Amino acid sequence: MARTAPRERLAQEETVGVRPPRPSTARARGLIGPALTLGAVVLGVAAPWLVSDYWVDVAVFWGIYALLGLSLNLIVGEVGLFNMGHTAFFAIGAYATVILNQAWGLSLWLLIPVAGFLAAAAGYGLSRPIIHLRGDYLLIATIGLNEILRVALLNNPRGLTGGPNGVILLDQFRLFGYGLDRPERFYYLVWGAVGLVVWGLLRLQRSRIGRAWNCVREDEVAAEAMGIDVRQAKLLAFVLGAGLAGAAGTLFAAKMVVVSPDSFTFMEAVILFAIVILGGMGSIPGVLVGSAAMMVLPELLRNFAQYRMLFFGAAMVVMMIFRPQGLWPSRRWKAQLAGEREP
Amino acid sequence: MRLRIAASLAGLLVLTLLAVPVLAQEPLRIGLQAPITGPWAYEGEMARNSVEIVRDQINARGGVLGRPIEIVLGDDQGNPRQSALVAQRMVSEGVVAVVGTYGSSINEPASTIYERAGVVNIGYGSTAVQLTQHGWQYFFRTCFRDDRQGAFFAQLVNETLQAARVAILHDNTTFARGLAEAARASLQEAGQAEIVFYDAVTPGERDFSPILSRMRARSPEVVYYTGYYPEAALIARQMRDLGIDAVFVGGNAAINDEFVEIAGREVAAGSLMTQEPLPTDLPYPQSKAFLDEYVKRHGQPPSSPWPVYAADALNVLAAAIEATGSTDGKVLAGYIHDTLQIDGVTGPISFDAAGDREGAIYLAYEVASDGSLVPYER
Amino acid sequence: MTLFVEQLANGLTVGAVYALVALGYTMVYGVMKLINFAHGELFMLGAYLGFTVLVSTALGGALPAGAALLVIILLAMGGVALLGLTVERVAYRPLQRANRLTAVVSALGVSIFLQNSAMLLWGPRYRAYPGWAVPDVRWSVAGVHVGLMQVLILAVALVLMLGLYYVIQRTFLGAAIRATAIDHDTARLMGINVDRIIQLIFVIGPALGAAAGVLLGLYYRQIHFTMGWSYGLKAFTAAIMGGIGNIPGAMVGGLLLGTLEMLGAGYLSAAWKDAFVFAILILLLIVRPTGLLGERVAEKV
Repeated sequence: MARTAPRERLAQEETVGVRPPRPSTARARGLIGPALTLGAVVLGVAAPWLVSDYWVDVAVFWGIYALLGLSLNLIVGEVGLFNMGHTAFFAIGAYATVILNQAWGLSLWLLIPVAGFLAAAAGYGLSRPIIHLRGDYLLIATIGLNEILRVALLNNPRGLTGGPNGVILLDQFRLFGYGLDRPERFYYLVWGAVGLVVWGLLRLQRSRIGRAWNCVREDEVAAEAMGIDVRQAKLLAFVLGAGLAGAAGTLFAAKMVVVSPDSFTFMEAVILFAIVILGGMGSIPGVLVGSAAMMVLPELLRNFAQYRMLFFGAAMVVMMIFRPQGLWPSRRWKAQLAGEREP
Repeated sequence: MRLRIAASLAGLLVLTLLAVPVLAQEPLRIGLQAPITGPWAYEGEMARNSVEIVRDQINARGGVLGRPIEIVLGDDQGNPRQSALVAQRMVSEGVVAVVGTYGSSINEPASTIYERAGVVNIGYGSTAVQLTQHGWQYFFRTCFRDDRQGAFFAQLVNETLQAARVAILHDNTTFARGLAEAARASLQEAGQAEIVFYDAVTPGERDFSPILSRMRARSPEVVYYTGYYPEAALIARQMRDLGIDAVFVGGNAAINDEFVEIAGREVAAGSLMTQEPLPTDLPYPQSKAFLDEYVKRHGQPPSSPWPVYAADALNVLAAAIEATGSTDGKVLAGYIHDTLQIDGVTGPISFDAAGDREGAIYLAYEVASDGSLVPYER
Repeated sequence: MTLFVEQLANGLTVGAVYALVALGYTMVYGVMKLINFAHGELFMLGAYLGFTVLVSTALGGALPAGAALLVIILLAMGGVALLGLTVERVAYRPLQRANRLTAVVSALGVSIFLQNSAMLLWGPRYRAYPGWAVPDVRWSVAGVHVGLMQVLILAVALVLMLGLYYVIQRTFLGAAIRATAIDHDTARLMGINVDRIIQLIFVIGPALGAAAGVLLGLYYRQIHFTMGWSYGLKAFTAAIMGGIGNIPGAMVGGLLLGTLEMLGAGYLSAAWKDAFVFAILILLLIVRPTGLLGERVAEKV
């Protein structure tokens, strides 16, 4: 809708400062969070011994898409830039991984930052001319970028991308002589990466940059007036988001072995976008929950055979109707909503 | 209509009664990985129909090793990520072997997983040459490789049609591109006919007049389209609309009943296709029995060549399990590589060391004026 | 030159279809600031409904061909309009007060739902539109090939678009729609029933999309349940090209996109066609950040 009243109110609240909760509940709440986190971590570490390889692999893809969701959340969630072509950067990372590994035999560990850097550089170059576009114009421009890249991959320029067949990664992650290609080993690799990235992003959220981003999201004009370089802030988010997606591309390539254009369709870009909104814009735990909804839910629906995607589509609508702010909205949203209810 | 339902219900009842003693045995679980939803869902549906017919035939005979076959369905949506997950799920569920999947680029992530787990998997629509060049031990395919059909096309152009100017179009899917490239390579190698036009269309596209106008300027005598029938029909029709009177030749995914229906009989008549002998033309009783059963159940024969290969994949697995008395992947793979020789729905089947099917006789078919396919004679 | 004129004719035909679908996107956007991703599926369902009416009734014999065609298009339009209303009621109205991206995800859910419904109802195969509905007449003027169906599509699209333009610009109802697009609250104060206007938008847009679907089916004689996705994306691109929220913009954008596509495929390479179209779009947006005709409704962020 056109009216963005809650948002405006949020922006006010932000400048005034969130009302502090009462002390006693604050202490109790302060304990619940870490306890839940600890529980989740313990469960996460034990998980591969509790379930079959299949569910471990589901969790691996959940993790990879969580990383992608987190990277897109920087752009869509934190800064409010509508990017529906995020798979482009993911693809650049994945293809770069395979091609560079084949050409120069670079180790996959080294390729994580290399792929990240290349995707970030592409993110900078591609977003610079279009970053000033507003809302839906930016959305279609990013979709366009992704489609252009996909057509290029299909057409196999200079024999680099292997056309529709894609390229094959012959290497794998190794640690102390152990290959990490077994599902449970890869699971630890991916979720280790998720943990690291979440830790980094939580710090970033609380930093000056994070606050500047949110400020840009809520009101560009006000942000500009407060001395924030809006263009730089947006570009930085794009570059970081693209870089993170590129690095996730290395993990994806190692997991899939084959990297082909089928993995980077418009539909996949839409799934990434939905992960961020479904989880709750700007919410890091929201992205984890949102990616679970988009990755794990279709697996749970497998018994419905050909009806499975029908239910999945309906579930998306239902989730949005019952949780319009996202499955796990960012805490500031909650504070805002709680504040609204008090007289 | 009602009579037919009643008849099939009665048939089903008889089958169930026959199957009762068999069902007492623990079923033999065999996976079918196919695109049940998503843009390729029609292929998935037909593969499922075909495999179910073979399953019912085998179970009616008393199953394999006295155990009935149960099909475990895995929907990969034609998406590589889902394909990897389905493969892992099949492995975790402990299926004996797997039929599938359809597309080559979708097959590869899955075959990697099956290979590591030692589960025999038989592709039914994955024709890309590279698939059998990884040294995999557990991957087979009942369909034939792109390069063999490409070579046959070159022969058709040079010897039968004796055409000098050839245009080749594909649709950038793994299969069509592979076949187009194989055809181009074979033609270049033979050095007779000249390739005057080579380009790709986008699958799902409906208007091909721009590319066809460009092709018209190169005045080809033969146009080879290696993609699928929905686009093939439109290309054939739009070629006529633009006044191009070259011979339209389709690959084995391009021409079928629906091609004729969409293109219209006037347009379709005279089109040629390269393809393995149709099940209806095979001298094997099981081919006819299979097709009759398919038409009886679903009203029309499959609209693409691949589902019958899915049926044969299950035939191969059942034969191997029966012969070896084993459900061990290694034993089965060894037997299928070295010894297996059966008559399937698509003719005699045996495999080479790489997992490719041996043989491959191709024929040229022509669309007759009544819309049916007849072997082409010049 | 012949090639150019031919491509132009083809481009305008496809462009007219894009324009009709783009109108649905742009009207919903203008009034609700929502990208209705399910709109492409409504277009696809229009094609399927037309197909069902066409093959299951005896219209062909009972009425002259032209009248039968009109009835089929109107039936498809009516059916899909009802569906559009339902979608609005179920998936968007509960989200009226939420963040607008929430509704986008809901729309994506509806899109997946409708696509799979079509797959289950009509089967996953390509369906062939019967050829008898429109006689296969073609003219060749100075080497340029043009078909009756192409003329028909352009004519029907033009009539529908002019009709819509008239309603929006010249009638009281149109004024109410325009007022609602500018500001809901003020419109409400002026005595406009905003909910009704939104419902109306969800009748007009899908109906136009359905007409486009039937025309497309008749033209190419072939439909598939996934076509809403690709044509929807193209039409959305067209709406953006013209300036989203702007009705003449959608018409211009549609025709322009169709023409660009055909010229790109004709003179460059069909394989690179989509990349060419999107590259032009991005260049256009760099020069004119709000599309060709800008937007009359100021965007409120």
